[in-house]
Amino acid sequence: MAAGEYGAGIAKCMDILIKFGEAFGAEKMVKIASAHTMPKEPPELLRELTAGVTQTGVFTTLHPVMSAFNPHHWRKMGIPEAFARQEATAFEQREAIYRRLSFYQTYTCLPMLVGNVPLKGDYLSWIGTGAQLMVNSLVGARTNRDGTMVNLASAITGRSPYMGLFLDENRHADMVVELEGLDPYQLTETDFGAIGYYVGDKAQERSIVIKGLDRGLEITHLKYLMAPLSTSGAVSICHIAGVTPEAETLEAALGHRKPAEVLSVGRKEIEATKALYGGDGHIDMALFGCPHCTVPELKKMASLLDQKKLKPNKRLWVGMPYQMYYLAQQMGYTQIVENAGGVMASSCMAAIPDAPIPEDVKTIATNSFKAAHYITRLTKGRVKVVIQDMAACIQAITP
Amino acid sequence: MKLKGRVINSGKVQAEAIVLDVPFSFIGDFDPNTGEITIEGHPLSGKNLANKILVCPSGKGGTIAPFIAYQAQQKGVSPVGILCRKADPLLCESALAINIPILDSFDQDPVTSIRTGMTVTINHDTVEIAD
Repeated sequence: MAAGEYGAGIAKCMDILIKFGEAFGAEKMVKIASAHTMPKEPPELLRELTAGVTQTGVFTTLHPVMSAFNPHHWRKMGIPEAFARQEATAFEQREAIYRRLSFYQTYTCLPMLVGNVPLKGDYLSWIGTGAQLMVNSLVGARTNRDGTMVNLASAITGRSPYMGLFLDENRHADMVVELEGLDPYQLTETDFGAIGYYVGDKAQERSIVIKGLDRGLEITHLKYLMAPLSTSGAVSICHIAGVTPEAETLEAALGHRKPAEVLSVGRKEIEATKALYGGDGHIDMALFGCPHCTVPELKKMASLLDQKKLKPNKRLWVGMPYQMYYLAQQMGYTQIVENAGGVMASSCMAAIPDAPIPEDVKTIATNSFKAAHYITRLTKGRVKVVIQDMAACIQAITP
Repeated sequence: MKLKGRVINSGKVQAEAIVLDVPFSFIGDFDPNTGEITIEGHPLSGKNLANKILVCPSGKGGTIAPFIAYQAQQKGVSPVGILCRKADPLLCESALAINIPILDSFDQDPVTSIRTGMTVTINHDTVEIAD
């Protein structure tokens, strides 16, 4: 493939993958089962790498158009026009290539919810630190924390260097996390988020295994637990003992080694972590969907907003995949959220990398530690973010 | 003076060196429109990396860094070579995205052997340094 028999684009991609693999000790290339890429490529680069290519080398879905920009909803979201126009031009150029080469335009950070469903042991190249962590942990499929270049080359060729988290011996936990005096069924979404944000900061790049959670927890809860692990830290795998596919037992998750560290989390740590994003009650905007909302969350949101309108000058941003939007529409949820004044868009609600938050928004309430972390930093303090459960966030912007 | 290193992407180029003492990322530490270094509080902040050889300990996170490096190259303000103690995946991906030479694992430490402003010649696995 590197020799050019499949065209200049494939040859260039393979050249990159081979040099990258050699630099990090990969002994071979392997076929991947799916890819998930970031629609933020400079259009010239995308054209260069796909020269002579008729379709992606493997089933490939797309991450949200980064920066919270959404081509259909930016105006309603209040995103500055000059910024949106610049993003829209590149978006249109890329979109034409996506259609032609079958990059599926899912625009979500949770591709496993909309049809990119790998199996245990599959090799993948997925972008997005949250998606990487969740597919490694919850599905037991294997992706490295690829950057955008290796990821795009992998999607186009359907190949990735055999290295890092593809190898059994690199997938064991080094740290055990114990929940102290906590009943998992009494924990709220922000409790789970606080646990993840606290543990991520302590674990940094280490893989972890959590004890004391059981199978009855919904994906919504697991999502709020896991996303912050790769926000305050760079955790690649979070096993849950007795639950996730590579953690049949605690010992199996640890690779039958002694853990390097045991970390205990209780109510005290949860409250101290929430206090990092505490607030005084004034809220301009509520923000949900980081990671993207599941349908049960949209149902809950609709029940909280039923027969209500946002107070004047308040905003509500809700992030979810288009596919979830249509399902929620069938169920009657989107109408309630939109009639209340909310905007529902398949955008990145952590607003990475340039946070085009409307000028009139000074304070945001969200149930997502990941969004709170990034928006606070990307706006360099212009926007204050407060962590609250969904009901409290909605209460702050409705009469 | 000559250094020998491990070649990750081979090339031949001669340019002035900019030597950073901290890990570098094309996102956050760099303005892709101007080529300027933007590390807050760093003495080299404001120095321009355009058409220079970047010398640094390593890279660091920022998934999208390779795309930012490519944008800079389109505008003619990217560096033309990278020498580091140990390349991390994202610095390596960034160099490969713009197909510039990148070397690491030298026989002598490039960060202390090379000073900002020196002329550096990269020729495959050999780096020649002149005042």
